[in-house]
Amino acid sequence: MQEVMLDCLGEACPIPLVKAQKKLEELAVGDVLIVQIDHSCAMKNLPEWAREAGHNVEIEEVDDGEWEVVIEKVK
Amino acid sequence: MKKFAEWLAKNDYYKAWFKDAWPYVTGAVLLSVFQIVTFATTGSPWGVSAVFANWGAWIIEAFGGSVDKWYYFASEGAQATLDRGFFQDPGTMRNIGLIVGALFATLMASGFKIKKLKSGKQVIAAILGGLLMGYGARLGFGCNIGAFYSGIASLSLSGWVFGVFLFVGAIVGSKMLVKWFM
Repeated sequence: MQEVMLDCLGEACPIPLVKAQKKLEELAVGDVLIVQIDHSCAMKNLPEWAREAGHNVEIEEVDDGEWEVVIEKVK
Repeated sequence: MKKFAEWLAKNDYYKAWFKDAWPYVTGAVLLSVFQIVTFATTGSPWGVSAVFANWGAWIIEAFGGSVDKWYYFASEGAQATLDRGFFQDPGTMRNIGLIVGALFATLMASGFKIKKLKSGKQVIAAILGGLLMGYGARLGFGCNIGAFYSGIASLSLSGWVFGVFLFVGAIVGSKMLVKWFM
């Protein structure tokens, strides 16, 4: 398994979501995608989509207004 | 102080009120209540973008210019609003409240951050998008608030028509975004 960082800092919705969806498609089951975001809307739609798609999601607040959404590809 | 911050971060009320996004239903109910309050107190439904056009007019007037002859500002209503001025305009106060309120909310959630520009492309997309939105909102006699939300809230058919084309525009816009700006 590998861990991939996706830099979406400075990007507004819906770009972080679209980028994450594309990137996750390239990964294999068991891989972990870490999406760096600083747009609070993406904090809602990105985890929501990933959870609905059945992946494991964790959110870490790394700084003021900056988050890492950790998505483990399950299927 | 550090102890307080740690305690606050774990406090359920702080989390529910300030840290986490409010549920969509809470937002919908509050928007409806404030729409009614706005209509009852100011006599017109909620609008956002028309106010910015007025701000533009006041800026031109502040530099000695005049918009009397502009078609958009030619009506008596528009002239009366401009004559009353910045501080006597309910929409202006509301928009300032929006900006200050958004700042307050992001500060309370300790989510304030000045974002870096990612690329020249992003700058072009932002300027182009802003111009199209502003120009389109004036041509359409309203934005997604004044024409769509307030239109439907006033039981006007125009709100629904606006809504249909809002979705068409959103589909075309997102295709362009993915194709050219990502």
